[in-house]
Amino acid sequence: MKFLLFRLWNYARGYVIIIVEGFFIEKFINICARRRILLWNVRIQKEHRVTARMSISGFRLIRPVARKTGCRVRLLKKTGLPFVFNKYRRRKAFFAGAVLFFILLNVLASFIWSIEISGNERLETAFIEDVLAGNGIKPGRLKYGIDTRATVDRMMLEIGRISWISINIRGTKVKVQIREREDIPEIVPRHIPCDVIAQRDGIVKQIIATEGIEAVAEGQTVKKGQVLISGRIPVKGSEEQYRHVHAMGTVKARTWYEAEVPVVFTETERLRTGRMIKDHSLILFSKKLDLIRRKNRFSEYTTEETRKKLTISEDLVFPFEWVVVTRYEVTSVQASIRETDAREKAAEEAYKEALELVPEGAEIIEENIYFAEEDGKLTARAILECVEDIGLSRRIGGN
Amino acid sequence: MAKSNPGNTNAKPGKGRNRKGTIKKSFREKFTELLELPKDLLLDRPKLTLIGCRDMMIENYKSVLEYGVGYMRVKTGSGIVRITGNNLVIREISHDDIIISGTVHSVEFTDAG
Repeated sequence: MKFLLFRLWNYARGYVIIIVEGFFIEKFINICARRRILLWNVRIQKEHRVTARMSISGFRLIRPVARKTGCRVRLLKKTGLPFVFNKYRRRKAFFAGAVLFFILLNVLASFIWSIEISGNERLETAFIEDVLAGNGIKPGRLKYGIDTRATVDRMMLEIGRISWISINIRGTKVKVQIREREDIPEIVPRHIPCDVIAQRDGIVKQIIATEGIEAVAEGQTVKKGQVLISGRIPVKGSEEQYRHVHAMGTVKARTWYEAEVPVVFTETERLRTGRMIKDHSLILFSKKLDLIRRKNRFSEYTTEETRKKLTISEDLVFPFEWVVVTRYEVTSVQASIRETDAREKAAEEAYKEALELVPEGAEIIEENIYFAEEDGKLTARAILECVEDIGLSRRIGGN
Repeated sequence: MAKSNPGNTNAKPGKGRNRKGTIKKSFREKFTELLELPKDLLLDRPKLTLIGCRDMMIENYKSVLEYGVGYMRVKTGSGIVRITGNNLVIREISHDDIIISGTVHSVEFTDAG
């Protein structure tokens, strides 16, 4: 490692390879060392003849040394960047270009050019981008002087529905990670009297009240909003008076979730004819420049867009983007599907749709799929029977 | 640490030696030994480092006396160090240090003072 650095450094500084001939080579070496003329890779070739490497500045100083020791010094090779530069010294435009390149690279790298938002499920990316822009983080802004910590605090307050946010500026990219807050049901404080009501329709399977009075019986059908465990306990002896408690307990009920999907026997397939048109455009600093744009000759087509961003590694994104929009000509072909396949497909879709309705914590105990025919149209119907806790606390007198 | 009998017992008593042929310790040497100070710094002694048989570093050398095909003689504060080997190359040479690489066969102190 040390030698590698040494070699790189020497290459950058430039050095010469010389041949020293004479009877007092040792003297030559000693005088060079004493005069702090650095020599390296001194290699003996034969008696009274060595090759050595030395710096350019050292080479300017060795003439008197050579004369004093009676050695003959010949230059064998010049190596290193200074000699390379020397070769190109007259080419001013080349240097100007090289310098301009580095300046531009640095200037472009000091702006924000892309924003990557991840972790948002319900919040829209565009909304988060707006809030970020309101806090001064948007493409085209200088990345220096952005206080990410302060922005994080402000974003937390402004959005409100997030539990965690992190903003990192990496290269020209801003990485925003968000964790959304779960909607927590309103919890009625323990000391406030409440009822337990039904969250949704169902048939009560099991009811256990730890506090309060069971208002429904097992096997009873309940509607959404119906009181299941009452917090109003009648006082013995008087009919008008009630004692209010904080009702608690579990109410397990059977619930149903269903979805319908019509069975389709025909399928339109769009087949590419093989003909296509490609439009090229360039996006510079969010300004779109159409380079090649041709007339659309197709009556029916699909479009595909590919974007290529100019990046160095993953994080250094530059504001240049190459967009290719390809239009493929298509022809629609009606294909009929076999009945069993069509039924299966519809059933699967219906099942998936129904499954999405099932809330978390519900246990599916039965899955049924029916096919119903109505006016000559066949529909697949998936019914999922679940068991879940449908109890929800609500203040007495409240909503 | 006492350097009695430097190998050659028949050597004539010269400078720094007593009649028995052993090296007489100088005041400076005794002083540095008493205080446990590094000898290479205070007594102008060389520090020789060999890494395997390929790289050798001599710190605190005085001068290169001879450099020929297959051997090299370096003057140091402890006499002349004679190194023999194949393809001996002076990797680096500066005011105080010399780095030699190649295949070292022997390192010898001659005329130890």
